[in-house]
Amino acid sequence: MNYPVWFVPTFGGGLLIALVAIVHVFVSHFAVGGGLYLVLTERKALTEKSAAIMAFVRTHTRFFMLLTMVFGGLTGVAIWFVISLINPAATSLLIHTFVFGWATEWVFFLVEIVALFIYFYTFGRMDDRNHQIIGWIYFGAAWLSLFLINGIIDFMLTPGDWISNHGFWSGFFNPTFWPALFFRSFISFMLAGCYGFLTATFIEDEALRHRMIRYSGIWALVSLILSLPAGWWYLAVLPAPAARLVHGASPTIARAGTVGAFSLALLAGLLITLILLSPKARTRVLTALVMITAMGYLGAFEWTREAARRPFVINGVMYSNGLPVSAVSRIDQEGFLQNARWVQNKEVTAANRLEAGRELFLHQCFACHTIGGFNNDIIARTRNMSFTGLRSYLATIHGKRYFMPPFAGTDAELQALAAYIAGGLNHKPLTDTGGAVGDHGKELFDTNCAACHGADVLKPILSGWPQKKIRTALDRLPSLNPAMPDYTGPPADKDALAGYLFSLNHPQPQPATGAAPAAPSTAGKGAGLFADNCTACHGLDQIKPALKGWPRAKIRAALDKLSALNPAMPDYGGSAAEKDAVADYLTQQTGGAQ
Amino acid sequence: MNPATLIPAADPLTVPSGWFQFLLMLTFPLHLLAMNALLGTALTALAAHLLPGQPYRRLSHELAKALPFLVAFTVNLGVAPLLFLNVLYGNLFYTSTILMGLFWLAVIPLVIIAYYLLYLYDFRFRQLGNGAMFVLLAVLALLLLVGFVFSNNMTMMIAPAGWNRWFTTPGGTLLNLADPTLLPRYLHMMTGALAVGGLCAALYAKIALKDDPETAAAGIRLGMGLFSWLSLLQVVLGVWFLTRLQPAVLRLFMGGSGSATALLTIGLLMALAALMAGFRHQVGLAAGLTLPLLYVMAFMRDTVRTGALAPYFSLDKVPVTSQVQWSPLVLFLVTLVLGLAVIAWMLGKVATCTARGEGQTEEESDN
Repeated sequence: MNYPVWFVPTFGGGLLIALVAIVHVFVSHFAVGGGLYLVLTERKALTEKSAAIMAFVRTHTRFFMLLTMVFGGLTGVAIWFVISLINPAATSLLIHTFVFGWATEWVFFLVEIVALFIYFYTFGRMDDRNHQIIGWIYFGAAWLSLFLINGIIDFMLTPGDWISNHGFWSGFFNPTFWPALFFRSFISFMLAGCYGFLTATFIEDEALRHRMIRYSGIWALVSLILSLPAGWWYLAVLPAPAARLVHGASPTIARAGTVGAFSLALLAGLLITLILLSPKARTRVLTALVMITAMGYLGAFEWTREAARRPFVINGVMYSNGLPVSAVSRIDQEGFLQNARWVQNKEVTAANRLEAGRELFLHQCFACHTIGGFNNDIIARTRNMSFTGLRSYLATIHGKRYFMPPFAGTDAELQALAAYIAGGLNHKPLTDTGGAVGDHGKELFDTNCAACHGADVLKPILSGWPQKKIRTALDRLPSLNPAMPDYTGPPADKDALAGYLFSLNHPQPQPATGAAPAAPSTAGKGAGLFADNCTACHGLDQIKPALKGWPRAKIRAALDKLSALNPAMPDYGGSAAEKDAVADYLTQQTGGAQ
Repeated sequence: MNPATLIPAADPLTVPSGWFQFLLMLTFPLHLLAMNALLGTALTALAAHLLPGQPYRRLSHELAKALPFLVAFTVNLGVAPLLFLNVLYGNLFYTSTILMGLFWLAVIPLVIIAYYLLYLYDFRFRQLGNGAMFVLLAVLALLLLVGFVFSNNMTMMIAPAGWNRWFTTPGGTLLNLADPTLLPRYLHMMTGALAVGGLCAALYAKIALKDDPETAAAGIRLGMGLFSWLSLLQVVLGVWFLTRLQPAVLRLFMGGSGSATALLTIGLLMALAALMAGFRHQVGLAAGLTLPLLYVMAFMRDTVRTGALAPYFSLDKVPVTSQVQWSPLVLFLVTLVLGLAVIAWMLGKVATCTARGEGQTEEESDN
């Protein structure tokens, strides 16, 4: 609102931040933990009086310097560049709040650079004690730089008491500061071990190579194990809305969680394999896998941390699109365009509606949604929504999907945005049906459901679902999928919606009343029983192949001893008549002989 | 459209703006110094490759070792002033950054490539042979390009009149090419950088290579030659830059503002004195004059910024939070003092070990 927008339609800034950030943290954490690895490995070389280990430390230091100081340092600057480009308002707020935190971090960077240069260039020339002290100074400065940036990063997720007192220290020592510090420290030691693996595989001497691989593996494994309780602690102190997102309400976090858990298991498994099995096997491929899985673990954490604060960029203070939370009610009154600096249409008219809508999109949606791009494409997301549906959706967007910021602006502006998305981007008619004509259930679907899944997606899922089951499901949508919000419409609307959904697979719709068919057949009754008793685990589609060619008698007999078919399946406790009805239904559906 | 309506509102400062101005003006010339040393040392090393004789070979080899340090310190010493610039002028700076986003981001890969090329030049010096010249040419081209991007951003952030171009070109591909001050300012800065860098190379040769008098003499001769002739060119470019300033800003330097006029006068006199020292190959004197001169020029640059922004924006109008927070400032200042003390201690240890371990310093550059 305050700033212009870097607008490349198909390219989203959020993805750019994520890419740069994940690459940077993978090197910058190494820059911290690797410092400890260096000094302790140098001490090991001195204690064991091993020139070979000392030579390895020196080679590793060179690799360390070239990677962390050049690539790590510059990608750190890159993050700063990128966030000020993509989210200038939030960057300004952070910089103004924590400028002296960053300035202090800069001093530690300076000390780090000098110490690392000296450490590397005086190998073999400085006496051992002083050389080790220089190494410790490097590690101390690097860890303190982590200490500082950790406070600022976690402030964005949990600003804590800063919201009320705006105090530097309240924001810095925020609720997630300590768990995150422990977690990041252990991760940095883990990465030090992983990178140690990498350089150790280049050691010529076989015996030493195996020793250093084993040594690095223990580093990584112990640190990985220690990171787990710290990560759990971190999750435990998350505020309720963030915790809900982490525990399933956000599909993107769920994906990140899968990647993280998988990486963790694979990483731990690989490390143990590498240490316990003889490291005589070709270890470079395994080492590459260790690096990839380590990145997956750390990347999943960073992704989760970023995504868990949505719809905010600074939790409770500023929305992801740079809009201050405190400004929303005023903007709703006065209008967004009136308050925005970088817009040409200051109010919505019939003539400029699409153009004003485009400007609203640019300033309120483009922070997360590309136009026809890879990341969160707005066209794909709204393809199934009508103009009317979009308007209704935008009006309650934050309530329906917590991780989306509310639309800020007047009703005319909201209509302009809806017109731009529906008409300008999706080329749909901008007629106002208002729900008065057409299928009411379809209108409700467009408004409430189509933002996440179109009818074509639901049709195969709902295949075989009786209308009653659909109607029941509408009462408890989150139990189907934690990411799905409750549908809060009145029962009549739910009936209509259920009728529409049922009609997707049954072109002759039943009366949209939700009532059971007037004269249910046995098979009809069986359908209801099947829905209530079986579909929690398997739909009709899943068992159809298994039942292919089964005569009714066989199906009926099987219903008496389901646990014999599969030990995981409980026996069905229905009456004989009910079992008959289910058998009738299944026979009818699978085409088995009567 | 009135350009002032485009300027984003500034966020409140946590301590009075004078502190940030002080810190900005304290640290920015240090960044300039490191940047100048980097550019000029690369140029001196390149020139040394073109000249015949063993002393010039050894000189380029010695300079090769120093170059990676200079990148590290240029970047690091750039972070502090950029941070304080973010605080004072963030609303202007972020805006111009967004207008030229694509070019601005390109700075990062350009610097990373230049940095790795300089390590290649250092660690593979012998193997590269004459190919080293092309490595240095590439580095200089990359760094001069980075300088051009910076000049664009620094001039665009103080020229809101051209910002409305964003409405037709929002893809981050704008530059400030129509600004009459851009080219003279860029050339003035870069020529000055190469000149001061030549002086740094001469100073390095005089102090660090004194055990090899031939190489040291070659370094002083070459470095001071570059310093003197490029400085002369820089004075000419400076006059061109001056004449291209907006009339209102130019007036400040021509008696309109006492401090601006004094800065210009002192700057010119010091530049002339440094030139004379340069042509006489008086390294110490030239260096003693140039460091304060960098500060004078940084203050003149600041005057240009304040003057150009005067119709739209003034730091006096930026609000300060009702409760000034001193403790973070104290944390920074204490850390800075302690950090510098630790650095001094470490450098002391290097000095003693260098004295102790002389004669075994060459092996690393051949790895």
